[in-house]
Amino acid sequence: MSAVRPSALARPDTHRRIAYQVRVVRVLAGSAFKLKYADSALGYVWSLAKPLALFSILYVVFGLLIRFSTFENFALYLLLGIVLYTFFADATATTMTSVVERGSLIRKLAFPLLIIPVSATVTAAITFAVNVVAVVAFVAWNRIVPRADWLLLFPLLAEFYLFVLGISLILATLYVRFRDVGQIWELAVQLLFYITPVLYPLQLMPEWGQRIVLLNPLGQMIQDARAVVLYSSDVITIPTVWTSPVMRLVPFAVVVLTFFAGLILFKRNQPWFAERA
Amino acid sequence: MSTEDPPELAVKAVGVSKTFLIPHETRNTLREHFLHPLQRTTYELNPALVDVSFSIERGEFFGIIGPNGGGKSTLLKILAGIYRPDSGFVRVSGALSPFIELGVGFNPELSARDNIRINGTLLGLSQRDLEARFHDIVAFAELERFVDQKLKNYSSGMHVRLAYSIAIQVPFDVLLLDEVLAVGDQSFQEKCFGTFDRMQGESKTVVLVSHDLGTVARYCDRALLLRNGAVHTIGTPQEVIDAYLEQEDALSPVRRD
Repeated sequence: MSAVRPSALARPDTHRRIAYQVRVVRVLAGSAFKLKYADSALGYVWSLAKPLALFSILYVVFGLLIRFSTFENFALYLLLGIVLYTFFADATATTMTSVVERGSLIRKLAFPLLIIPVSATVTAAITFAVNVVAVVAFVAWNRIVPRADWLLLFPLLAEFYLFVLGISLILATLYVRFRDVGQIWELAVQLLFYITPVLYPLQLMPEWGQRIVLLNPLGQMIQDARAVVLYSSDVITIPTVWTSPVMRLVPFAVVVLTFFAGLILFKRNQPWFAERA
Repeated sequence: MSTEDPPELAVKAVGVSKTFLIPHETRNTLREHFLHPLQRTTYELNPALVDVSFSIERGEFFGIIGPNGGGKSTLLKILAGIYRPDSGFVRVSGALSPFIELGVGFNPELSARDNIRINGTLLGLSQRDLEARFHDIVAFAELERFVDQKLKNYSSGMHVRLAYSIAIQVPFDVLLLDEVLAVGDQSFQEKCFGTFDRMQGESKTVVLVSHDLGTVARYCDRALLLRNGAVHTIGTPQEVIDAYLEQEDALSPVRRD
C-alpha cells in the first residue's frame, strides 16, 4: 500500500515477510499479556477471576433472585454470553489505544503497522482462551456430552474475531485523531451490553425486538454459540425470527463490511501515524 | 562526485522535501471541532527538509551533521521509511536496517532476556537466530550477570550496551544510526569503534547522524551538513566539519538560548 518502504523487512519475498509479521505479533502480544499482570500477586488468575466474578453476581441476581430463566442451563447460557462479550469489550478497548500507546515504536522503526492492532487483539484473545477453559470446566461439571456440531463454534469464533478486528481497526484509526473516541466507546460498550442478549433470555422481548437484536452481529453470534453448545430450542436464533434468507444474511454482511471498512481506513491513514500518534 | 555506475549506489535521495503542519492550537478532541466549526485551525508550516538530494555509494560511511532542528532526524526517518516525503523519493538497494534508534521496543518492566527477544524480533531476527546469538549479545554487552534483571534497574550505559549489542547481530547492507555512542563508557565506545572497523572491512554502508565531530572525522568517507532543512555542504568530513564550525562561529555572537 505505502509507496516507499525500502526497509529490509518490507522487501524480501512474501513468505519471509509473513514469517516476520507472525513472529512480531507473537512477541508483542505475548509480552503485553505478561506485562498486564506484572507485579500482581495472582497474575494470570485475574484474567479468569474478573469474568467469573461478573458471572457470579449476574447469576445470583438474575438466575436465582429475579429468576429470568425458564430453562435449565441458564448458568451456562449466561456464562457463554459473558465470556464472549468480555472478549469483545476487552479487545476493542485495548486495541483502540494501541497505536497511540506504541507511538514511540512507530516513530523509530519502519514495519507494517497493522501488526500493532492485530497483536493487541491477540493479547485479548489469549485472555479469552483462558476464559474458554473455564467454560469447558463448567460444561464438564454439568456432564454435558460434546457433540460433533460443536465444530460449528470454530467458524463462529472466526466470525467473532473478524468483527472484533474490524471494529478495533476503526477505533484505533479514529483514536489517533480524536481522543474522545475513548469516552464514546466506553459508553457504547455499556449500551451494547444491554442491546445484546448477554444476560437476559430473548424470550423476554417482543418479537419485533428479537428481530432487531438478532440483526446485530453480536446478538446473532452469541445466540448461535449458545444454540450450538446448549442444543436447546429455548435459544432463539436468527432463523427463528427471520424467514427471509436475505435478512438472515444481514449480520454476516455487517461483519464483512466492518472488517473491510476497518482495514481500508487503517491502511489509508497509517502513513501519517508516525507523525500524529 | 560523479556516479557513473548506478548499481553501486546504496542510497539515492532525489529532491526530498518534508513539511510539517504545526497547528497553532492542537485540536485533539471532537468538542473543539464542534465548538469552533467555522474557525479554521491555523497552521504554521515547518519545512523540515527542502529539496534534499544526495547519493551514497556502497561501502561508504556517510555522516550527517548539523545544528539541532536542522532536519537530521527527519531525513533519517524518511530514509528508514518511517515518514513519507511530501515530494521526491529515496531509493535504497540492499537490506536496510529499519530502525533509527537503538533499543526500539525495549520495555523497562521486562527482563533483559525478554527485551533481547522483543527487540531482536522487531529488527528481524528469527527465533533460531536469537537462540544462536543470545550468548554473543550478552557477552558483547558484558551483562552476563544481569540478564534476568528488569531493564528499569539498568543504568543508561547498560541500556545502550545491550541495545547496540543486539543491533549489530542483525544482518543488513545499509545501517542507519542516530547518535549511538552518546552514552557508554570509554571502553565500550572503543568496542563500538571495533565493530565499525569490521563493518568497513565488510563494505557495509553506514549512515551516521552524530554531534560527535570526532567520530565523523575518524570514520566517515563523506559527510553532509544539513542546515534549515537544506543541504549546505556535501564533501569530505573535513570540508563539512569546517563549514559547520565556521557557520557556528558566525552565528554564536547572536545566538540565543
